[in-house]
Amino acid sequence: MKREFIPGLIPGLAVALLVMTGLLLGGCVTMRAEKPKDVVPTDRGTVIFLEKYEFKRPPAGWAMLKNLEGGDFELGFLKMEKGDFPSQTTFIFDDQPFGSSRDLDTRAKQYCTRFLFNTGMYPEIKKQENVELMGLPALAIYMEGENPSRGEKAKSKIYLIQKGNRIISFVCTQWRPLNGIYDQAGFDHFEEFVKSFKYLKKTFYENFEEELKKLGI
Amino acid sequence: MDGHQRDLYLYERLNARVLGVSMDDVTTNKYFAQSLWLEFPIISNTLAWMGKSYGAYSDKPPFAPDGSPVRFGRLTVVIDKKGIVRYGKTGSPNNQEILHLLLKLEKEFRGK
Repeated sequence: MKREFIPGLIPGLAVALLVMTGLLLGGCVTMRAEKPKDVVPTDRGTVIFLEKYEFKRPPAGWAMLKNLEGGDFELGFLKMEKGDFPSQTTFIFDDQPFGSSRDLDTRAKQYCTRFLFNTGMYPEIKKQENVELMGLPALAIYMEGENPSRGEKAKSKIYLIQKGNRIISFVCTQWRPLNGIYDQAGFDHFEEFVKSFKYLKKTFYENFEEELKKLGI
Repeated sequence: MDGHQRDLYLYERLNARVLGVSMDDVTTNKYFAQSLWLEFPIISNTLAWMGKSYGAYSDKPPFAPDGSPVRFGRLTVVIDKKGIVRYGKTGSPNNQEILHLLLKLEKEFRGK
């Protein structure tokens, strides 16, 4: 069968399709809700994370670790440092630290039994003291450990904070080869992060408990 | 499991009880429970009929990195006071979702 070519029809069709595609895409752009940014800087030298927390982030060179879909922790920072592997410092905020006790001292015992569990470091508690953070009772725990067979060591500072019926945590760990020297600067940035950290909203658990109270439960 | 233990005080206020089910033997479960300071019971169901009954068993298994089949996955089930399954979800438990459901069930029970 002989096909007839009608001049002008195909270019016209193509233009119409392009216009329709443009309209559809334009519609998509205008209809799509703008996704809020995860991190928004403030004029106070801090950042707001997911509209939930405000804190001072460490300077350039620190990569942000974000966990937006649940997991071991919600946010943190990492810096790869000069020196042989594993020269790096990480610090995190975790609102559900390991363990389950709602008593600070008991939770500290639970937490420390599993700390750096898979590293073969067997870190020891060097010091533990009662402190106050965010106006709340807290424990500061200093731990150190080493794994000679892997040629690694680590030094950590852990804050466990009593926030209502829950315990939250901030943890900083610095990794070094066995002959490496720890650097205080990483811990200083961690302290600034912790001291500047603010909750901007009530937590899920605070809201939930309020709801229970309203119902007399 | 330690997530459920952390929320146990809320489950109890909502008149819910937690029961773990595992294919491991009693001794293994005992040490597992101790290692996580679990205060709720764990049933040792080595013949796995409970997992099959509640849908934790898969005919088309996902495969572990070594190629071996993983026929049983994690499953969270919420059973109401009449014995009706009101919730079932595979994977890591979503405790916030579970708490909301328990609150809804408690409201239903109280007629609110």
